[in-house]
Formats: sequence, C-alpha cells, structure tokens
Amino acid sequence: MTYENKKRAVLLLIALAVVAWIAVDAAAGGAQYWARVWLRLPLLLTGSGSGWPITGGFILNILLSIASMAVATALGTVMGLATLAKSPIIRLPSFFIMNFLRNSPWLVLLFAMLYILPFEMKVFGLVIPFPPFVKAVIGLALPTAANFSEVIRGAVQSIHSGQWEASRSLGYTQMQIYRYVILPQAFRRMIPGWMNLYALLMIATALATVTGIQDVLTILNTSLAMESDRVIVYFYLTILFLFFAYCYPIAIFARRLENAVKGDNL
Amino acid sequence: MNRSDALIEIDGIRKSFGTFEVLKGISLNVSKGEAVCIIGPSGSGKSTILRCINGLIPINEGFIRVGNHRVHEMRSEKAMRPLRHQVAMVFQQYNLFPHRTALENIMMAPIQVLGHDKAEVEDRARKLLAKVRLSEKADSYPGQLSGGQQQRVAIARALAMQPDIILFDEVTAALDPETVKEVLFTIRQLVEEGLTCVLVTHEMKFAREVSHRVCFTDRGMIVESAPPAEFFDNPQDPRTREFLGQVL
Ligand SMILES: Nc1ncnc2c1ncn2[C@@H]1O[C@H](COP(=O)(O)OP(=O)(O)OP(=O)(O)O)[C@@H](O)[C@H]1O
Ligand SMILES: [Mg+2]
Repeated sequence: MTYENKKRAVLLLIALAVVAWIAVDAAAGGAQYWARVWLRLPLLLTGSGSGWPITGGFILNILLSIASMAVATALGTVMGLATLAKSPIIRLPSFFIMNFLRNSPWLVLLFAMLYILPFEMKVFGLVIPFPPFVKAVIGLALPTAANFSEVIRGAVQSIHSGQWEASRSLGYTQMQIYRYVILPQAFRRMIPGWMNLYALLMIATALATVTGIQDVLTILNTSLAMESDRVIVYFYLTILFLFFAYCYPIAIFARRLENAVKGDNL
Repeated sequence: MNRSDALIEIDGIRKSFGTFEVLKGISLNVSKGEAVCIIGPSGSGKSTILRCINGLIPINEGFIRVGNHRVHEMRSEKAMRPLRHQVAMVFQQYNLFPHRTALENIMMAPIQVLGHDKAEVEDRARKLLAKVRLSEKADSYPGQLSGGQQQRVAIARALAMQPDIILFDEVTAALDPETVKEVLFTIRQLVEEGLTCVLVTHEMKFAREVSHRVCFTDRGMIVESAPPAEFFDNPQDPRTREFLGQVL
C-alpha cells in the first residue's frame, strides 16, 4: 500500500468510527437531542429562528471572514512589498510592524480593537461609526495581513534570481520588474498560502464573539443558554462540524494547488 | 589597436565580493564586429567580467566604456537603460520568463522598455523566431520547450532589443551535445553578420572556428590574449598550456 492509500484508509476509518459512535449514541437516546439541534439549526446558521432575515449566526462568521480577508489581502500586499523595499526607511518600520502583528495573540488584538477604536470617528464633519462588526473585521484583518505579507515575501523571494538578472539586462527598472516579471509569477505561488490563511481566519472568527457581534458562538451562549447542559454538548458538536465542513475542503484544495504549482517552478 | 576605435574598452577593473577579490585588474578592448571568446577555469571570473560590462554588478576600481557610455560612472538603474539597450546578454540558465509564451518573451522588453510599436515589434519577433528556426513554437511556454529551444528563444529575445553587442555567458553549458549544435549554429550566424560578441565558452572547437580573438582568464587576470590559431597552436603562458592540455 502506498503512503497516500494508507493515509486515506486511516481517514476513512476515523470517519466511520465517528459515524458509528453517533449512530450508537443516537440509538441510546441521543436522537432527541439531535432533533432539538435540528429544530434550532436555522437560528445557529442565520441568527433568526425562522432562518430569515440573516442577522448573525454561522453565516455572519462567513461574512466576517470574507470581509477580513479582503482587508487583509490589500493591507498584506502593501506590507509585503514594503518589507521588500530597498530603502531602509520603508523596510525597517514595516518589518517591525509585521513581526509585531504576527506574534500577537489574535484574541488580544480583538480585545485591543474594542478599546482602541472609538465608537465612531469624525472626519471632516463626516461621522464614521465603528460598530462591533467593523472592529471585528479590523481586529482579525491585522494579524492576517501580517501573515499574508509573509506569504508574499516568501513567494517573491522564491523567484529565481536569474529572473531579476535577465530583466535588468533587458533594461527594466525595479518597479517594472515587479510588475511584469516577479509578481505575475509570485501570485500563482501565493494562492495556496492565501487559501490556507483564509481557512485559519475562518476558524479564528469564533474569537470575534468577544466583540459582541451575533456570531454563531454568541448565539449559542445567549439565545440557546436556556437549553439543558446535555443538549448544549450537541450544539457545540454541531458548530465544530460546521467549521470543519467549511474549512477542510479549502485546506484540501489549497494543498492540491500547492502540489500543482510546485511542478512548474521553472 | 587604437583605443578610441574600440566599441568596448575595459581598463584595469577590479572587483571584490567581500574580502575575496574576483577581478584583479582586467583590461580588454573589443572593436566593432569583433567576436571575442573568454575561456578559463571555473571561478576565474569570466561571468563577472560580462556582468561588469553591462553594469549588472558595480566595479570597485577601473574604467569601462561601451560606445558612448562610461559604465563605471553610472549609479542608477535608470541611467543604465541606454546601455542595456545597446548591450544584450544571454545566460547559461536561459532565464526566460516562464509565465509568458516564446513570442511574448521576445516582444515584452521592446514594448515595455523601449516603447516600440506593438505591431512592428510582433513583426520583428516573428522574423527573429524564424531566424532561430522556431517559428512553430511561437505560442509555446518556456516549460514546453527543450533546453536548446529555450536558449534560442533567449537569443531571439536579446536580438529583439536591436543591440550593438551581445554577451553570451556559457550559453551551451546546460545543454546536451545534440542541442549544443543548434545554438552554436545560431551564434555563428550572428558573428558572420558582424554583430559584436563577447562569448564565455567551454567549446574550444567553436572558439577556434568562430572567434577573432581568444582570452584566457585565470584567478581574476587575463593571462593570454591572441587570435585563435596562435592561441591554440602556440600558447605562450604555461597556465594556458596546462589548461589547454586538460581540456583538449
Ligand atoms: N554575487 C557573488 N557574491 C559572492 N561571490 C561571488 C558572486 N558572484 C561570483 N562570486 C565568486 O566570484 C568568483 C568568480 O565567479 P564567476 O561566476 O565570474 O566565475 P566563472 O569564471 O564564470 O566560473 P564558471 O565557469 O564556473 O561559470 C567565484 O569564486 C564566485 O564564487
Ligand atoms: Mg560563469
């Protein structure tokens, strides 16, 4: 048996064991708890008991992850290129900021956003509010951006130095080399890392419960607080499964891409 | 040779990497239309000489003039642009842009760097592909081409800049014997057309047949420089003799 096949067999065994355990447990009386979970599932997913309108729940976690990833991608690109800059005036501060953010616990950053960011901000008479959702987006985007800038740096540095030499000998300037030669190649190598980071970010959105947004965890802790202790266990299992079902395929797909990209590092 | 006649004039250049002095006073003149081969043991500084000529690496001491450009005085990449237009380079590892097709590889720099008209550049690029006998590979990516084909695309890319001088750095070293021939055929054609070439090579037979002058470098110095017949049949320096004894 090859290593890949062995791995597949083990994973299959684990999945079967989980299914078997659930079946046995359901037969032994767990079924009534699952029925309860099923009844409240629309609330967990959308934040409203009937499933509409969407006011929170797991879907809010997904929206939060998408918004944070968008901000993190823009911010991380700027930060990544800044840490590659020739001028130390740009490079050193961005390097410091990046490392600071990368080494901060995400939960601490989220709490910090709660207290650092004001409730609203006045810019030229324009009032920009900072609702909890925005604070959560920024709090999650900062460490993600720092990690993404590291992905960019790695991808850019993985481009063979001969590409630089050839472009310089053709008269390209530094900026042009990035634009026409390095970044187009680096982007393809970045995609797996970017997706992995997204999966991590999605998992971390559960932390955003501390900002008070109505995410899946907040809903569980408030609206469903009156459920019995026994049934809460089933709710938590359900949430774990939701995250797993959303993130695992992304991680798998990223790994596939990674292997595909490895093949063409000419 | 009269100094001012030379297209490339190198005088007493020294280059160190850290404390290690790679070039210890190299002087070399190349006149227009001349093909000069540089041979020598590995690590003797051959590639470094070529990289100094087109300003890819700065020198510590000495004088380099290419055409009207005083290379040793240039400091910024931007100032080097006209020089890079005049001097093209082909590398041992081809260094084609893997995300672009063969045709695009040839067209990129003339359009993006020189600002030439796209239609005119495409016409030029197709003619160059025909010249290196790769017309049917225009839309292939570098990864789909053999080493010899990639190197010929790289030569076409260099030619598309319409340079006065081409520097070849061991362009056949990574190729297998059959494909070496295709590439050397192309280079020979260029020399016969009167393009000024500086070639670093390990192909002694080729150096003898094609070049007008052969220089032997050893430990950062040009030890001997002579027309090929003289150089190969009657080497003067004992180090040249030893080297030729090993490779011939
Ligand atoms: N960027 C660099 N940094 C430090 N040392 C370098 C660098 N480039 C070259 N060298 C050193 O300079 C010496 C000469 O290198 P060079 O590439 O010019 O040799 P070469 O004659 O072209 O050899 P080969 O035939 O193996 O290509 C070598 O000892 C090499 O290790
Ligand atoms: Mg070399």
